[in-house]
Amino acid sequence: MDFISHDEKTIAEMLKIINVSEIDDLFQDIPKDLIIKSLNISDGMSEPDVLNKMREYGKKNKIYPHSFLGAGCYYHYIPSLVDFVISRSEFYTSYTPYQAEASQGYLQAIYEYQSIISRLTEMEIANASMYDGSTSLAEAAIMASIITGKNQVILLEGVHPEYIEVVKTYCWGQNIELKITSENKLNDVLNEDIAAVMFQSPNFFGDITDGLVMSNKVKEKYPNCLLIQCMTDPTCLGLLKPPGKTNIDIFVAEGQSFGIDPSFGGPGLGIFTAKKKFLRKIPGRLVGKTKEINGDRDGFLLTLQAREQHIRREKASSNICTNQALCSLSALIYLVSLGKTGLREIATQNFQKAHYVKNAIALIPGYEILNKKPTYNEFIVRCPNINGLIRECKKMNLLPPLQVSTYYPEMSDVVLVCVTELNSSSSIEKFIKAAKLAINNEEERAD
Amino acid sequence: MDYEFPDNLKYTKTHEWLRIEDNTATVGITDFAQRQLGDIVYIELPEKGAILEKQSSVGEIESVKAVGELLMPLSGKIIEVNSNLVDNPELVNSSPYGPGWILKLEYTNELEINDLFSVEDYKRIAEEEN
Repeated sequence: MDFISHDEKTIAEMLKIINVSEIDDLFQDIPKDLIIKSLNISDGMSEPDVLNKMREYGKKNKIYPHSFLGAGCYYHYIPSLVDFVISRSEFYTSYTPYQAEASQGYLQAIYEYQSIISRLTEMEIANASMYDGSTSLAEAAIMASIITGKNQVILLEGVHPEYIEVVKTYCWGQNIELKITSENKLNDVLNEDIAAVMFQSPNFFGDITDGLVMSNKVKEKYPNCLLIQCMTDPTCLGLLKPPGKTNIDIFVAEGQSFGIDPSFGGPGLGIFTAKKKFLRKIPGRLVGKTKEINGDRDGFLLTLQAREQHIRREKASSNICTNQALCSLSALIYLVSLGKTGLREIATQNFQKAHYVKNAIALIPGYEILNKKPTYNEFIVRCPNINGLIRECKKMNLLPPLQVSTYYPEMSDVVLVCVTELNSSSSIEKFIKAAKLAINNEEERAD
Repeated sequence: MDYEFPDNLKYTKTHEWLRIEDNTATVGITDFAQRQLGDIVYIELPEKGAILEKQSSVGEIESVKAVGELLMPLSGKIIEVNSNLVDNPELVNSSPYGPGWILKLEYTNELEINDLFSVEDYKRIAEEEN
């Protein structure tokens, strides 16, 4: 069905009913100084002139051809097949494509996405996806609280600091007490009133934790305590032990690395999986496969909807009533076109290139690798001259690694380096050179 | 309105029925309730041994289009649950008073039985809600 917009007459009628004189009045709550009065482009320009003007503005952006920045959003190879498939207007423009009678194509795609995520993670069930990794983690905390009937959740340091903020917000809204602690102090804080322990691996600083060791440690004393793991770059699943083999109860991840351009920091993709026994408590959409009534063909449809808020209302564990359809399709096409061997190759390159850089940096006097656990494609380094490093990177057209002081001011000379399969050997050599040059810059060292 | 409401049972206004024998009660949901819910696909049963107050939530009955809460009709201890309902939840639709029974409890306060409805009173409630 085509989209039919409102006409002036209808708009006037609606405004009259709600006693508002013009549409702009509905935006009264936005502070006046934030409202754009006019766009910086003259009226009545021709299309080519407008395009030229926009290109001029665009040139003001500094686009780095090579990146050493990660921290939750990653530059990865995206097979052209992804764009080719998702650009079909049936996929690109459809809105909430969940009606069985109108959207069999999308419903099948979502079903296949669920299946492939379940296989990759070896978790028993996967939902149709959530908005992003951070909200998936927050919803997992709420789900754990509902399952166990307890309202305290432990979160281990090392979870992405922005994820921690999101989880805090959700917990505050749901009256769940969030206890943030380090892995060393976990045993001091753990007790029978805890609904779940949440951790990230590989974590914000790059450290990998064995999920099985973690779950044994927690469940030995408190078998009813749930384990929740989150992950920001799931390409590592091409190499690492899948969460399904670690007794983790709920596994969530940011799926942006699966075929979604980093763009301006979004959109993301919330991968959400759990053990089958929690099927009736997981949030989000679930697509199922069934047979038609008057024949033998397979059909796809939303199922187990009695979990959702439009039926369960205030007893629902979540108010989400959508999924990231286009992004989940991107992830599906990404994983299908790479296949098992392709994903393993990508993961291997991430691991090997990052370790090459890690080892090379460690050899430069003054630099100290701070990770004590194994890492995947990210690691943290203490720098003798952090400002120098950032400057030399920019000079060589390399997007510099994250300055960790952005989130942890006390770590003022630490960077979080990310190396993916996209980092060429020449960009890697430049980065190592930048690191060496940074030491020699005396003025900046005085900072 | 052609619902079945056996007269040897007691009822609650939240559509549970009780068959009281000695100091125990067998509990289920009425024909009216099962019809309103539609095809039942899942029942969340309480733990055997659980001790609960009257009116507290003791389980959930899920159909394709709705979720109904099961409330304790009397304070007491759960002594048995109908595990057949795990694989065959549709029994609640087909025989709500027979094989579709949900749980058995041992009540602790005899006086609460006076608050239950007779079949006549319940028929009126069902008619009003219809």
